[in-house]
Amino acid sequence: MNRVTITLLRFEWVSFTRNIFQIVMLGCTFLLGLYAIYYGQSEIKVQRETIKDVIEIEKTEFHQYQASFKEELASVTQKKKLTIASDPAYAWHRHGYHAILHPHDYAALAIGQCDLHPFYYRLTGMSLHYQLFENEIANPVKLYVGNFDLSFVLIYLFPLLIIAFSYDLYSGEKESGVLPLLHIQTVSIRKIIIIRLVFYFCLITGLALLISFIGLTTSGNIMISENRLATLFWLLGVIVYSAFWFAILFCIVSFKMNSSFTAISAAGVWLLFLIIIPAVLNVWITAKYPTNSTSLAEITRRTSLENEEDENEAKEVITEFLAHNPHLKDSDSLIHNNTLAKAYAALTSLKDMHSKEDVDHYNNQIYQRNQRTSDLHWINPAVNMQGVFIHIAKTDLNTFHQFHTSIELFHRNISDFYFQKLFWDKPIQPEDYSRLPSFTIQRDEVKWSTLILLGIAKVSIAMILFFVIGFVIMKKKRI
Amino acid sequence: MKNPVFLIAKKEIQIALRQKLITALAIVIMGLLSVALYAGYIAYTQQQTVVENAQEKSRKEWLEQGDKHPHIAAHYGTFVFKPKTILSLFDFGLDTFTGTSVYLEAHYQHEFMFRPAQDHSSMIRFGELSASLVLQVLIPLLIIFLAFPAFTEERENGTLKLLVSQGVSYTPIIWGKILAYLSILFAIVFPFFALAIILSTGITTSDSIPDPWLRVLFLILIYALYLLIFVSFSVWVSIQSSTGRNALLTLLTCWILFTIIIPKTTANLGESLYPLPSMKIYREAIQKDIRNGLDGKTPKTTREEQLKKKYLQDYKVDSIHKLPLNFEGIRMQVGEDYGNKVYDIHWKRLIKIFDKQNRISSLSSFITPYLSIRNVSMGLTATDLHTSIHFQKTTEKYRRELIRKMNHDMAQNSRYGEFYEYKASKNLWKTVNGFRYKTMPAYKILLLYRIELLSLCCWAILVFFLLGYSSRKIKPVL
Repeated sequence: MNRVTITLLRFEWVSFTRNIFQIVMLGCTFLLGLYAIYYGQSEIKVQRETIKDVIEIEKTEFHQYQASFKEELASVTQKKKLTIASDPAYAWHRHGYHAILHPHDYAALAIGQCDLHPFYYRLTGMSLHYQLFENEIANPVKLYVGNFDLSFVLIYLFPLLIIAFSYDLYSGEKESGVLPLLHIQTVSIRKIIIIRLVFYFCLITGLALLISFIGLTTSGNIMISENRLATLFWLLGVIVYSAFWFAILFCIVSFKMNSSFTAISAAGVWLLFLIIIPAVLNVWITAKYPTNSTSLAEITRRTSLENEEDENEAKEVITEFLAHNPHLKDSDSLIHNNTLAKAYAALTSLKDMHSKEDVDHYNNQIYQRNQRTSDLHWINPAVNMQGVFIHIAKTDLNTFHQFHTSIELFHRNISDFYFQKLFWDKPIQPEDYSRLPSFTIQRDEVKWSTLILLGIAKVSIAMILFFVIGFVIMKKKRI
Repeated sequence: MKNPVFLIAKKEIQIALRQKLITALAIVIMGLLSVALYAGYIAYTQQQTVVENAQEKSRKEWLEQGDKHPHIAAHYGTFVFKPKTILSLFDFGLDTFTGTSVYLEAHYQHEFMFRPAQDHSSMIRFGELSASLVLQVLIPLLIIFLAFPAFTEERENGTLKLLVSQGVSYTPIIWGKILAYLSILFAIVFPFFALAIILSTGITTSDSIPDPWLRVLFLILIYALYLLIFVSFSVWVSIQSSTGRNALLTLLTCWILFTIIIPKTTANLGESLYPLPSMKIYREAIQKDIRNGLDGKTPKTTREEQLKKKYLQDYKVDSIHKLPLNFEGIRMQVGEDYGNKVYDIHWKRLIKIFDKQNRISSLSSFITPYLSIRNVSMGLTATDLHTSIHFQKTTEKYRRELIRKMNHDMAQNSRYGEFYEYKASKNLWKTVNGFRYKTMPAYKILLLYRIELLSLCCWAILVFFLLGYSSRKIKPVL
């Protein structure tokens, strides 16, 4: 670093420390950042407590079933309990399992879509779609307004801080009459502006990294393997996003307009990236790729056999079901036992199978729509960066899709566990309770990293583009 | 001599028209308003067709479900879909975040399913372009760009001194400028307001809003007041600022606080102070109260025993088989009524939490006029939470009526102990009318938003007072 650079940086530091307004702004942003971390963590804490309650409820339920095998059958209630615990005809639609999407440690920093989608489901062997579309309680006003989490502070507020600190880097000098003095120096104006921008970049990015670091360390252990890469990606994202906004400011400043005009232009760009472009794209996406959830509503209906007293109809349903389930096929010899219960189980399973096409079609529509949305991220680095943050925190739509896909598999395992007993006329034994189906979410970690890196790369390219434009214009443009 | 207010207004308009930036911004805003209204119209027509078709299909399925036992029909149930109102093309409000359909069946109040936002990526949280967004958020920004140099420029150029030396007092200068900015805004938004009036008068009666023209009138009034507040506030800041740069920075800071930071923090604070229960816990509490009784001492079996005893006594018989009606139907309806009572208690508790959470935002409208206009606008366009809750209440009332009719028929026309033997037909299904929804009348909505309306009036009084006060204290040179 040469002497001129050191002198410029020292001058900038002195003028910064003397500017109370700027120090107050940094302090306020820091406090807002801390509040955002606190808010996000309190939101996720509520989710974790709910999950704890839900697990407890499930444990109690199954504990009761297991205990009923040891109890004396003195009362009607006790007998009923044992029936539910041991008779698969009851158990398949009474035993409730929970599929839970545990929030990632960093979900508190980027709440994303996790306040909009349910994060747990109670599942029995009953129709999956009857159980899948219930929403979690949420205040729509709050959903509409969104969350004041760390990603909001970084995406919305930090660019404003960057604008406030650097909009008058050139015009300020010009308006205070210092510019002619700078022109007679050996250093070019462009270099002076770049050095000053670098100073503020370090200052503001440093603050963003500090807040992020506080958020990351208080939300989870950054050293454990699940968080290590996420931490790195988050910090890299912060640096790149901050650099992107400095590149924009450099580009705007390079036009060498007066302070007010520069401030208006910078505010306009902020408005464009953070409000106008996403708002226009959202209505465009809605109009261009409409989805129709009314077709799905129908499949949530509880249905029964047309004529419950008609044994032939019941048998037909069972036969159709067995044709689709080869591993149970041989149980058709037992069709005369417990026919109605078997028919109900078969009907439920067949209904899910028939509805699957509609559900898949609907999900595919959403997938296509969101593919189009992510293609458009090229034109909006702010939305792109928000996408990256929530992807890191695993609170994005993809994660919820993976959750739903895993739920389908889990539901199949639950049904299968009970149907094996039901169709083979076997009771559920106490030892079966050690082999109950359990839920695991299928994730694709390679795709996860690739998408994050791709997102960061898109912002980096935009950043380079703006910087180069600024660099060229600054050289061409006279005072 | 012409009134100085008009003279100053004319001069301001001429200056504004000469500024390329202002003209460009005005064109952009008009463009955005057009796109917003067009997109709103497309979304409205698409959604309206979908909902009408689905509702029709659902009605047909109900009527043509074939002969079956009324209780099976009660479980077969029906669906209700939330209609989109014509005014929602102006303000989408909470429509994206409230469920769109609900399954109505016996014993159980299902939650609304399918919030449209669930089908979007996280970009939806950045907001959607609607005419209300343009008027509430973007036009104030145009006002800021228009009005920030109102006094600072006159002062910096020395023209304020000249004006005063001509014998013009400050009050006409202030009002002349305000009039000029309002005229420019009026020119921008008038075509859209005119369109809104034409649309509201031409709305067919099938729409669920009973008084669209009244709502449009109120919308125009409150938006005019909101813009007047913003213009006056911006001019006041310009009077108080030493330089144009300071005025601009102060106004931009206020804009960000008013439209972005305060609305978000207050909504978040509301949720932190008054947490909502999770669905599972909420449902468990309802089921527990139904199971054990609201007092915790009269379980379902005891209640049913008491009911049985009462009926035997009333009809002076010793067996439920001898009752002239099917006791099973009575038992089901009484169970349903009890479940409804429990549900109402818990639901009201939940709505109260929503109210408490949203009250913070309502009260914060005294800090930012944006919250007043946002809430009242959503209310008048029937896209707010109150309308959503009203819709839920209407669907629940419809469900209860449907189930009551099924249980009543079962009690009157079937015999105790018989289930598959009795089948009701289309005549019974027809007694349940098709679902129709009408929103609350406009005056009720306005009453619900009295805090916001009051705050808007307070804002207007405050800015006029500040202007009046400052006009006496202005210095031509700072």
